Amino acid sequence: MRENTPLTIYGETFSNRLLIGSALYPSPKIMQQSIVAAGSQIVTVSLRRQNSVAAGEDFWQLIKDTGLTVLPNTAGCHSVKEVVTLAKMCREVFATDWIKLELIGDEYNLQPDPIALLEATEILLNDGFKVLPYCTDDLVLCQRLATLGCEVLMPWGAPIGTGKGLLNPYNLTTIRERLPDMTLIVDAGLGLPSHACQALEMGYDAVLLNSAIAGAGCPVLMATAFSHAVSAGRAAYVAQAMPEKEVAVPSTPTMGMPFWHQ
Amino acid sequence: MNKPKVAILGFGLLGRVTALMLHDKAHLNVYEASDEHASNSAGALAAAMLAPLAESVICEADLAQLGLQSMAMWPSLLAKLPDPVFFQQAGTLVVAHTQDKGDLNSFSQRLKPLEGHTAYTVGSAQIHDLEPELEGRFHQGLYLSCEGQLDNLAFYRSSFAYLQNSDVQFNFNHKIELSTTPSEPVLIDGHQFDWVIDCRGLGAQTESSDLRGVRGEVARVYAPEVELNRPVRLMHPRYPIYIAPKPNHEFVIGATEIESQDNGPITVRSTLELLSAAYTVHSGFAEARVMAMNAGLRPAFSDNRPRVERNGNVIRINGLYRHGYLLAPAVVSEALSKGLL
Repeated sequence: MRENTPLTIYGETFSNRLLIGSALYPSPKIMQQSIVAAGSQIVTVSLRRQNSVAAGEDFWQLIKDTGLTVLPNTAGCHSVKEVVTLAKMCREVFATDWIKLELIGDEYNLQPDPIALLEATEILLNDGFKVLPYCTDDLVLCQRLATLGCEVLMPWGAPIGTGKGLLNPYNLTTIRERLPDMTLIVDAGLGLPSHACQALEMGYDAVLLNSAIAGAGCPVLMATAFSHAVSAGRAAYVAQAMPEKEVAVPSTPTMGMPFWHQ
Repeated sequence: MNKPKVAILGFGLLGRVTALMLHDKAHLNVYEASDEHASNSAGALAAAMLAPLAESVICEADLAQLGLQSMAMWPSLLAKLPDPVFFQQAGTLVVAHTQDKGDLNSFSQRLKPLEGHTAYTVGSAQIHDLEPELEGRFHQGLYLSCEGQLDNLAFYRSSFAYLQNSDVQFNFNHKIELSTTPSEPVLIDGHQFDWVIDCRGLGAQTESSDLRGVRGEVARVYAPEVELNRPVRLMHPRYPIYIAPKPNHEFVIGATEIESQDNGPITVRSTLELLSAAYTVHSGFAEARVMAMNAGLRPAFSDNRPRVERNGNVIRINGLYRHGYLLAPAVVSEALSKGLL
C-alpha cells in the first residue's frame, strides 16, 4: 500500500482532488450547486472574456461566495504578452499569486503552444507567480517546465471540451514515472467519471474538469459522479492494484477439489 | 367602473408588451430612462428568436414549455398593430460542419421533450429542400419545425406608434427609483397610481441584489446575395451562432454570451467570430454591408429564470435573460393576472 499524501499545490495541501471550472453552466446557480456536489476545494475562473475588471464583478462575486480557493486562468490567450498581462490582472482581482497558465497555440482544438509556454512560465515565475501550466503530454516539455521551477504541471488528457478521456495513457504514465515528486493534474479532455478514475489510478494527484460537468444533462448529478470516481481512483492508487498477468490464475486453490471438477 | 391608473416603468420589450396588454383596460403612464427607441434595452438588440426547443438545451423543461405557449400569443399581440411586424413560424435549421458533428450530437441529446414537438434529423437532401442556398455546405443537421422569429425593430417602432395613438402618457428621459416598501396608492414622480408595473430590467439593479447583466453582442447586416428562409443555427465548438433573416435581406447574426456587465462597443474578437461564422454558412455574407454591430446586457438572476414579484400594488417583472421575446407574452400575462387582469 502506498502512502496517501494530500494533494499539495505550492505548499498548500488539499484533501479533495477534483478541481472544477466555472464556465458553460446553464446558470450561475447550477454552477454553485455543481461545485458543492463535486466537493471541490479549488475552482478555476477565466478573466479573459470579461471586458474590464469592474464589469465582471458580479459574476466573480458568485465565485468568491463559494468560499473556495480560486485558481485564475488565462484561457483565450494566444501570446506571451497577453498571458503575462492577464496574469497580473488576475493577481490583482483575486489577490492570489496562483495562475493556471493557458497559452493557446492552435485556435481550433485549443492545443497549448509548448514553446511560448516555456517563455511565459519563466517570466511569471521570476515575477513571483506560482505557475500551474496547462501543457500537452510531452515528457520533455514537462521536464523543462519542472526545471524552470514549476511545482505543479497540468498535462492534458485530450483537447479541451472533447470529452475523449486519456488519449495517450502511455505518455501520461511516462510523465508520472519520470517526475515522481511533481504534483501532476490531468487537465482537459475528460468526459466520463471513468476517465477521471483512470487518471487517479495512474497516480495523478488530481484532475481538473469543466465541460464534462457543465455540459452534462444534469451537471449537479454528474459532479457527484465525478466526485465518487476521483475518490475511487485515488483509493485504488493508494491500495496498489494487483499486477497484470498473461495467463489465468484460479482464485480458488485447486488442491483438495475432486479431480472431475478440475 | 373607473379604469385603474397604472404606471409602467421601462419601455423596452416587457414595457411594450405590458402596455399592449393593458392600454384598453387602464390609464397608462410610461416612464422610460432613455428615449422612445429604448436603444440600450436588450429587446432593441436581440434577434427576437422564438426558439423554445433549441433553448431547451440550456433551460429547464418548464420554461421551454412556457415559451411554446408564449409563442402562440404573439400573433394576436401583433395583430393589433397598424404597421405590420414580420412574424414567421417556419422552424429553425440547425447545422454543423463535419468536424463539429460531436457538438451537434451533444445538442441533439440535450434537447428536452416538448409537448407534441420534436427535432427532425436532416441530411443533405432535406437541408437543400429547406435552404437551397446551403446546398453542399452541410450534410447533417436538425430541423426544429415549431420555432419562429419576429422583427424586433419593427415591433419597437410599431408598438410605439400604436400606443401613441391610444391615450398612453409617455415620459421619456425619466429615470425612476422605486421604493422597496411602496405606499398605496403608489407615488411615482409625485403622481398617484393604483398599480405600478416595473419593467426596468437592469434599471432595477440597485433594488435587486442578485440581478446581473450578461453581455451579448450581435451584428446586423444587409446581404442581398443571401437568401435564407428561416433562422439557421450553427454548431461551433465554443458558442452557438444563429443567423436570423429579417425582411429586405437583413440578417441578425449573434450572439456572444459573456459574464460581464460591460456594455461598451463590441470587441474585435467577437466581431471576427460572428462574421466569420456567418461566412462559413453562406459565402454571400462576404459582400454584406454591416449595418450595426451592437453590444448590450441581458438582465438575469442567478438561476437564469424570469421572476415575477408582487409587493403591494407594485408588480416587478425581470430576469428574462436570453429569452425575452420567447417568454415575454406569457410572463407579462402571468404577472398581470396577479390582480390587474
